[in-house]
Parts: sequence; structure tokens; C-alpha cells
Amino acid sequence: MSTHNVPETFSIPVGPLHVALEEPMYFKIDVKGETVSHIDINAGHAHRGIEYLTTKRTMYQNVVLTERICSLCSNSHPQTFAMAAEKIAGIEVPERGIYLRTVADEMKRVTSHLFNVALLVHLVGYETYFMHMMQVREIGQDMLESIFGNRQDIGAMCIGGVRYDLDDKSIAYIKGALDKIEAETKDIIKTFKTNGSILRRTKGVGVLTHADAITCGVVGPVARASGIDYDVRREAPYAAYDRLPLVVHSLTDGDVWSRAMVRLEEILTSIDLLRVCLRDLPGGPVNINDRPDIPPGQAVTRSEAPRGEVIYYLRTNDTPQPERVKWRVPTFMNWDSLRFMLQDAKVADVAMIVNSIDPCLSCTER
Amino acid sequence: MSRLPQDLEARLTAAAPAGIEYSADTDQYGVTVAWLGLASAADLSPVAALLKELGARLSMITCTQPSVPEEEEEDEDEENEDGEEKAEAAPKEMPKTFGGTPLDGTSYEIDYHFDIAGDALTIIAYVPQGGSIASLTPLFRNADWHEREMMELYAVKVTDHPDPRRLFLDASVDGAVLERLIPFSTLVNAASTKGLWERLTAAGKKGAA
Repeated sequence: MSTHNVPETFSIPVGPLHVALEEPMYFKIDVKGETVSHIDINAGHAHRGIEYLTTKRTMYQNVVLTERICSLCSNSHPQTFAMAAEKIAGIEVPERGIYLRTVADEMKRVTSHLFNVALLVHLVGYETYFMHMMQVREIGQDMLESIFGNRQDIGAMCIGGVRYDLDDKSIAYIKGALDKIEAETKDIIKTFKTNGSILRRTKGVGVLTHADAITCGVVGPVARASGIDYDVRREAPYAAYDRLPLVVHSLTDGDVWSRAMVRLEEILTSIDLLRVCLRDLPGGPVNINDRPDIPPGQAVTRSEAPRGEVIYYLRTNDTPQPERVKWRVPTFMNWDSLRFMLQDAKVADVAMIVNSIDPCLSCTER
Repeated sequence: MSRLPQDLEARLTAAAPAGIEYSADTDQYGVTVAWLGLASAADLSPVAALLKELGARLSMITCTQPSVPEEEEEDEDEENEDGEEKAEAAPKEMPKTFGGTPLDGTSYEIDYHFDIAGDALTIIAYVPQGGSIASLTPLFRNADWHEREMMELYAVKVTDHPDPRRLFLDASVDGAVLERLIPFSTLVNAASTKGLWERLTAAGKKGAA
């Protein structure tokens, strides 16, 4: 073979601002022909020093601040932070508050998963179906806006419970919206299992093997699509998850399709959980109606955000400000696994594979 | 109820010859949260190797500089009695951790948060200012980013890290950002906008000359 036939190697920058990426990520990709041979990840474009800022705010201000770390998992941050504060102070959240926390959590999961899978369809190039899926997600967004008054930062959590309540009218409205989303999601699942365009672009693409998934310590749907049967809601229950019929979905192929399918199945599970919560919603107060001082101490709490395990470490002292707040979001773990997924992938699939981990940069870099 | 192995404490004691401080509690959901203080940071690697054997997943690494424990001010604050055990050991001299690391506000406490089948175990290692700690990246690949972040936020050294580049902060930013007081105007864009304006004005003058 003469040297003329050897494909040349090129370096392609993908990002930091790229049409197919939602947030500023920067990949330096070496390609041989059309195949990715090496990936370098350059992070930090959304670093804002929020961890530093949390130590300058009081515990109660931090509930507001942590909600603003990220928009798609905006409910998981204040919830996990509040759980840590409650653990240190020995606060017991009233039963109704526990159920309402679960309701807010699952509503956010439904819309977050729909958004991610819709974007996947967009990257596949199936634009009409992308618009249809965004329309379905809009039913969920309308639901959030109607119940919480906001589409993203829903402001539902507080230390000691939640800041919203449901009445018969709003429960009936949520149930109606869920019925619509459920029927549509079932259709979407059918489409994902049969549509040639989607299957051809996503099956066997961006594979993360079970062994690599364990090595990278990935979490959430990315882990479950690679056969790691782990969900914080079942493994380390919080809120009302210990008494709900939670089904954890896992697949074994570890490709883009599997990750999307895990998310779609989880939407249906979330809808089931929401229905049970709304049916069993106990009476009583939604929060402790008090703002006690949080005594010195430390706590580690975890929750299952739409993208996977969120972990918070909180240390308090005698001041109203925490001494240290540290958290790690699912993307922090999943991002690095892209090295495995992108290896030997086609350049045209890069954006799709990146999207398949449902990246959330603003909360990864803080 | 706990999913941690029954003999975990004994095995951890065997893995850390310098001594450990172990505590665990289980909440109403049956989830156990355990804390393991290490007397010597040198025991980190053998303890982490044991956890790897047990199938633990590294979840997060937190670095922090514990503040100086408050001096015993009688009748001042009753709540203090529960929390600051470390202070009670040596109230007059420089307070120390049980392993002898001075708690002068400049030492580092590094917490390694692990998940074992749903239960949480945190290893706590203390490193004095100017000290270093062994990298866990060779054992747990996903320690990589955590350690790189720790190295740019604090002046703590991580030895044998395979790729000790900056993670989020640009190389032009001075290190140990969490150890310094950063004025608000610097933290937000006000200072950089002013700086940019001054640089551009100076460059414009030079260009005109």
C-alpha cells in the first residue's frame, strides 16, 4: 500500500460553541477519515464559582441559589440540599410534604426526559417528529407552569418540606395532562422501536460497555442502558420512594438507542408514580412552617435527578452560612465516559452521542 | 439492615494500621451512612483498594479547609457541645485531628464519598498545609476529574495523578481559588470588563503612536 492511500489524520474542534451542542462544551477530536481516533475534552466554559458563593449565603438563601445551578434538574438541587440540612438538624418533613416532593421530582423527570429524547430525534434529522415531541413535552411544561407558576425553576422545595400545595382541581388537571403524555409517550416508544431512520442512526452507535460503565462510575440512564441496574430511588430511597411501585429500567446494549429507550420507559414509570402519589396524597401541612437554625454538623445526601445520582455534602458551623457545600451532578461522571463512546465513532454521530448522555454543563462546572 | 459487610469495620482497621475513627447510622429508609476518619492520609490507598474489592463506586471527592474549632467559651453556646468533638481533646493548644493534623484553618480535609450497593461510606483524610495525598485515579478512574478540580481549587498536591492538568479553570488563572478572598467585583464580570477596557484603550494608544 502506498502512502497515498493511508487516510490522513485531522484534528477537528467541536465546540465550544457548536450548532448541535446546547451548552458550551469543547471537544478536540482527531479523525482518521471519518472515524474518531482520539478525543480530548476541554471543560470550564460555564464555571461560575457557585460553590464559593454558597458559603457566603445563609442556609435558607442557598435553597434559592442551588435551584439556579441548572434548569433541567433544578428541582433535584434544592431538594438534595434541603435533605442534607434536614438530616443535620433532625427535621422531619411532614407526610404531605414528602409526597409533594416526589410529585415535583417526577414531573421534572417527565419533561426532562422528553426534552432529551426530542433533541436526539432532532440530531437524527427527523425534524417533524422532533417538533411533535417538543409539543408533547409542552403539555408537561404547561403542567409545571400551571402548578408552580414557572416552567423551569419551579421553586417547590424548602428546608422542612415544600412551598406548594395541590387541591382537587389541580390534581384533576395533572391527571388529565398525564393521560395525554402517557398516550403520546407510548406512541413515541412504538416509533423508536420501528422507525428505520431512528434505528439506523442510533442502534449500535456510541456504545458504552458494561465494564467501561463500571470503570467510569457512570450514573442514571447512561448506567442503566449499559446494564448497571442502579437507581438511587430504589437503592437509597428518600421522599416517598420507599412506598411507591418503582420499576427500574435497564438495558444491556449501552448504545444511543438504549439510553433513549431507558428514558422513554422511565417517563411511563414516572407517570405511574405520579398517579399513585396523587391518589395516596396524605393530608396535613406541606412543610414545618418554621425556619430553625441548622446546628453544626455534616451530612451526605443523594437523590436521583433525571440524569442520575446527585450527591450533596454539607458541613455547617455556628454561623447561618454553611462552611462547605459540595455537590456532584450526574454529568460530571458521565461526561468522561464520552471518551469511550466516541472512540471509533463516525464524525457525523458525534453530536448525537454527546447528546445521549443528556449533558448538563452548567451544573457540572458550577 | 445495612448493606455494608458485617466485618467492614474490622477489615478497615486492618487496612489502616495508623488507626481509624468509624461511625455509621441507618435512617428510617434503611439507608446507612458511614464515616471513616483516617489517622494517617498514607492509609488512603490501602483502604480504597479494600473498598474497590468490595465493589464500591467512588461517588464524589470533597476537599475543604476546616475552620479552627471555636475555643471553649462557657455558657456561650450549648449547641456547640454536640458538634465539635475535635475541639474538646485539646482546648488550650492548637486543636488537632485524632491523627495529629493541626486544625489551624489551613489544613485540608479530603472526603472520599463512596457508594456500596446503595449505602454511603465517606473516607476522611487530613492533609496539613503544604502536604500531599496519593491519587486514587489509578484505582478508580473516575477520581480523575475530582482530583483535578481539587488541585485547582486548593493548593493541595495530589501525587501520581496521571494527568494533572487544569479541569475547569484556565491556566492563566492563579490556583487555589478557594483559599483566597476574591472580591465580588472580580468574581463577577465588572472587573474583567474594566480590565478589558483599559487593555483595549492602552492597545489603541500604542497603535496610534
